[in-house]
Amino acid sequence: MGEAVGEKGFQTKELTVSMGPQHPATHGVLKLVLDLDGETVVKCTPYVGYLHRGVEKLGENRTYFSALPLTDRLDYISSMSNNVGYVNAVETLFGIEAPERAKYIRTICAEMSRISSHIIWVATHALDIGAMTVFLYSFREREWILDLFEMLTGARLTVSYPRIGGVRNDVSQEFLDSLYKFVLEFPGRVDEYETLIDQNRIWLQRTKGIGIISAEEAVNWGLTGATLRGSGVNYDVRKANPYDVYDKVQFDVPLGKAGDVYDRYRCRMEELRQSARIIKQCIEQIPAGPILAPEAHKFVLPPKENVLKSMEALIHHFILITKGPLTAPVGEVYSATEVPKGELGFYIVSDGSGKPYRMRVRAPSFVHASVLPRLSEGHLLADVIANIGTIDIVLGECDR
Amino acid sequence: MRLKKAVKTVFFTEILQGMALTLRSMFSHAVTRQYPKEKRPAMPGFRGMHAFVRDAKTGREKCIACGLCGAVCPSQCIHIYTREDDLEQKKVIDRYEIEALRCVYCGFCVEACPVGAIALTEHYEYSDYSRQALYFDKEKLLDNWDRMMAGKKGEEYFEKFWFPKRDSFRSYDGQAVFRKPKEEAK
Repeated sequence: MGEAVGEKGFQTKELTVSMGPQHPATHGVLKLVLDLDGETVVKCTPYVGYLHRGVEKLGENRTYFSALPLTDRLDYISSMSNNVGYVNAVETLFGIEAPERAKYIRTICAEMSRISSHIIWVATHALDIGAMTVFLYSFREREWILDLFEMLTGARLTVSYPRIGGVRNDVSQEFLDSLYKFVLEFPGRVDEYETLIDQNRIWLQRTKGIGIISAEEAVNWGLTGATLRGSGVNYDVRKANPYDVYDKVQFDVPLGKAGDVYDRYRCRMEELRQSARIIKQCIEQIPAGPILAPEAHKFVLPPKENVLKSMEALIHHFILITKGPLTAPVGEVYSATEVPKGELGFYIVSDGSGKPYRMRVRAPSFVHASVLPRLSEGHLLADVIANIGTIDIVLGECDR
Repeated sequence: MRLKKAVKTVFFTEILQGMALTLRSMFSHAVTRQYPKEKRPAMPGFRGMHAFVRDAKTGREKCIACGLCGAVCPSQCIHIYTREDDLEQKKVIDRYEIEALRCVYCGFCVEACPVGAIALTEHYEYSDYSRQALYFDKEKLLDNWDRMMAGKKGEEYFEKFWFPKRDSFRSYDGQAVFRKPKEEAK
């Protein structure tokens, strides 16, 4: 701990402050140990792991089918995105493809969860910095989204909706109609949030020029998602390596320039509009057809009607549930999807049994938490809060 | 341009715009729900409290004691103890217990059950002071069914959410597709 003599002859020394794990602005159970010189952060050390539940290890003890609810609890405010990422990885491993209609439904759901996650992000980020009204307004829309999730999946947060080879149940006409109404209205609501904070002088002072990271450095730190795009790097898994139906819809990838907190905020606000645009196109294009891969009966649960009537289907049903797919190919697969936080990757190693031999989750929040010292050191203590908000971490995903 | 900026700085235009928005919303309907007094019914298909389906014909549970629900359960909260009944010449359940406090409400048990013997009702308010009250045995589960889902509601539940018809040779006429929203009368 360094001691120094100040300008007027006072003895000053650095102060170590422990922030978290119980702190309202750390978005979960993140602990930061801050060495402060006055109000300036000299050193920032993040400690993670308070929410560790061993999701990766638990995944090894469950069949591919029943490991799905574990992924709900990674990034628990956008659980649908994790589900979609997981089933995409398993489908790539098995070499099966979901039917067209299921892919459209999944894309719609993933974008809905992106909206719900970004809404929470802007709400809490603004609340941390001091703008409370945005919080109240944006939770109005989040409630709407959650109602739509409940209508479709039967649960509001931990949805467990997609299945390997498709989705659980079909969308209803009522759902599509009310979602269409939502996406028509939603861009106007984003304008409302922007009216409140976009040009607000306090907001600008707290966000402009804070937490600057250059494009090259952002790539080197392994940042992804809007945190990377705020620095002007055009990388989006949906464009770079399209999955589901992202190659059939039109959307822009918003980019920032300065790489500061404000630019990342602008990116995410624009992404909200783009998500609404994607959903709108998906609803307009959605075809009729099956929702679970009909030919992949070795991997996908057979239709319940057949289980009740045919012996073959009943045997498949029992084997798939108790032992998992018996003909799972041996090999390994890495599959990445663009979740609201960044690039979520599932690395699954299969030894041919019904359970994954290894399930590794590349969690964007974990990578982003590591960049926090780089963003915070040299800034004021109050800017640490802005930096935690801007990297958009969820500790459930970070600690797994 | 600079003049415009100066006007903005002096007259706090962006703050006034924000305040105009909040003032406007003062005259719109409140969106908050006074929860314990005002309750929103759960959407159909909501995954809530567990129930054991009571067969209308026999008056008993439908369960055939195969144990699939316990095998698929990701949180391992279903405990099944079975025996072979000599009189009836079949496997029957001795005890069937669900720890509701461990359940994650994924609904996999309903999906796995080959006979449709278990259901998740739309009831979600059942907090209690003791753990024992949330440890459902067979009688409690059957009682849940009688209270929540008996009659037509239960049949519809399985038809709509858990037995989706998805044969590949079927035509997909009735499926939901895009339809233009009706212009609302202003």
